[in-house]
Amino acid sequence: MSAKPDYAIEVEKLTKRYGDLTAVDEISFTVKKGEVFALLGPNGAGKSTTVEIIDTIRTLTSGKVSLLGMDVTKQKLDIVARIGVLPQDFSSFDRITVKETLQYYSRLFSGPHADIDGLMELVNLTDRSQVEYKNLSGGLKQRLGIALALVNNPEVVFLDEPTTGLDPRARREVWQVLEGLKSQGKTVLLTTHYMEEAELLADTVAIISRGRIIAMDSPGELIRQNANYEILTLQSADSKAFEVVRGMGFEPLPDQRRDCRIRVEHAPDLLRILSSVKDAGAHYLGLDVRKPNLEEVFLKLTGEALHDGPVAAKGQP
Amino acid sequence: MKPSVVVANLYVKLICVYREKTTMFFTLAFPIILILLFGSIFMSQDNVNFHLCVQDLDQSKSSRDSVAALGESGKFKLTAVDPTVDAVQYLRETKATLVLVIPKGFERSLLRRKFFREYGETATLTYVYDPSSSSVPTKMAILSGVIAGANQEISGIPPFIKTVQKSILTKQYRFIEYFIPGIIAMSVMTLSLFGTANMNTELRQKGIIRKLSTTPITRTEWILSDVLYFFTIALVTTTIMLVVSWAVFRANLHLNLWLPAFVMLDVFAFVGIGMTLTRFVKESQSAAAAANAISFPMMFLSGSFFPVELMPGFLQTLAKTLPLYYVNEGLRAAMIFQDNAAAGHAAAIIGIFAAIVFVLGIIATKWEEGQ
Repeated sequence: MSAKPDYAIEVEKLTKRYGDLTAVDEISFTVKKGEVFALLGPNGAGKSTTVEIIDTIRTLTSGKVSLLGMDVTKQKLDIVARIGVLPQDFSSFDRITVKETLQYYSRLFSGPHADIDGLMELVNLTDRSQVEYKNLSGGLKQRLGIALALVNNPEVVFLDEPTTGLDPRARREVWQVLEGLKSQGKTVLLTTHYMEEAELLADTVAIISRGRIIAMDSPGELIRQNANYEILTLQSADSKAFEVVRGMGFEPLPDQRRDCRIRVEHAPDLLRILSSVKDAGAHYLGLDVRKPNLEEVFLKLTGEALHDGPVAAKGQP
Repeated sequence: MKPSVVVANLYVKLICVYREKTTMFFTLAFPIILILLFGSIFMSQDNVNFHLCVQDLDQSKSSRDSVAALGESGKFKLTAVDPTVDAVQYLRETKATLVLVIPKGFERSLLRRKFFREYGETATLTYVYDPSSSSVPTKMAILSGVIAGANQEISGIPPFIKTVQKSILTKQYRFIEYFIPGIIAMSVMTLSLFGTANMNTELRQKGIIRKLSTTPITRTEWILSDVLYFFTIALVTTTIMLVVSWAVFRANLHLNLWLPAFVMLDVFAFVGIGMTLTRFVKESQSAAAAANAISFPMMFLSGSFFPVELMPGFLQTLAKTLPLYYVNEGLRAAMIFQDNAAAGHAAAIIGIFAAIVFVLGIIATKWEEGQ
């Protein structure tokens, strides 16, 4: 496989097996230079394994992976000097401060001295520069992890679930940092199981399920191709509303709450459903009609919920 | 290999241990505790004073004089046993381990032998003892020596074979001084082996090794920084041990360049073993267990605590295959006997071993996961 100059990453028929388990099953994709590429899928789908093979943490079973035109199985030392990695469940030395941690990783790369102050400013950690790693909150630790991934001014940045386990506020803070990377034109390979994250940040999304890529395109195109319908949501609906909807031949979508969510392909059906629910005396607190998002696309394609693994025909309160 | 990377790693490891006060305390306190504990035990061995029960059935002047002579030898602290009690019963009922019984008629036999030259006259002393006690053989050996001296004196003839002690050392050394090099060797081994295995499995569990694997650091740079880190700590603890042993026990040893050389070789060897172990154990608890399995036999078989000569023949052979044996031998050769040839011989053996396990450690260290 010869690397084309406009591709940062080329993956061809990549397979990773652990004994009888096939974690990654002959997947192929390319990432252009300057592109933010997201691998989207639930836990155990094979996202992290794929990324860890590309960024040289893991070895592959078969297939070919080229990073910046170099074979990841043969040119590890050349590759690591040109990439930045935030591994899954990132951690660092407990007793050294933010600034010392950045200085330490900067020295490991032995290149020109990194702009430590600039990196701390980028991830908004300047006022915590003297705080030891163990005393940082989860969000601050992730921000430090991102700064460490940039310490060698890499051409390609790998971020493996950068916001998993963070509260919504911390997640948004990390997103701001990632938007900054995007605006700098860095090539970013991101794994996530947050749809919102992929929609917000990625130019291209590959949906991965059980080790295989089942769809890949820009978020807008994925939605357009796979979700040509509206989502009607009856919020906090009672069981009678579910009965009425099912009686009309619609199957409510799986939902964690008591919301009754229905795919509606034809606009007149919206009014028909609402009228029937009202006539039957069923109750709901509010309603919402909107275009589907990546989550619905994922659900439609895989039958899996992103956060909780496979779901059966759920959706009844 | 880039020295700046090794120095960066060394700096981070030293900063971490310096800021972790509990680790710092125990790292420094452990050798002090060892020196104080074992020093106290072995210092008192220089003035050993066994407990001995004596039952004088004769109750004569001669028997009383003999008992008094035993007490004056300085080896025994005597307890008189009532002549009317049964010695065997006495032993069973008390915590005593040995009763020396002087028979009735002791003085009469002694006088007949001494003054009437009746060489057929003898007195039989009885040792009533508890065979489960480990101190009994030593007590009986000392008593036999004292009795042999008394027999010689009674015979009135000067002994034909005499002995004189002539040490190869100009200075008289005490047991504590022989013991300290062994403790230094052992504590450096423990520090390096447990430290390497624990630290690296913990870093792997935390995912720090995974992050480091995405940087240009090499396995050699990483292990070399481990060696320098443990060498620095080992030098500090060795200095503390020497200062404490001098301050408390007035232990006086020769300090020369062999000491840091053997500490370095000790560190190299056991960091290499620790890194090799890390490859095969997944968690820090397992690492500690595996390190124990290696260090305990080494500790007791290689002559740190007990002279190898006291062991059965096959264990002596086994001891000579252990790296710690050569560190012990080398340190004693350098710090006590000032024997450069012996120190050099031990250094060569441990050096070859250290080089082999260091290379094995590098090979065993794995950055990539999921082979």
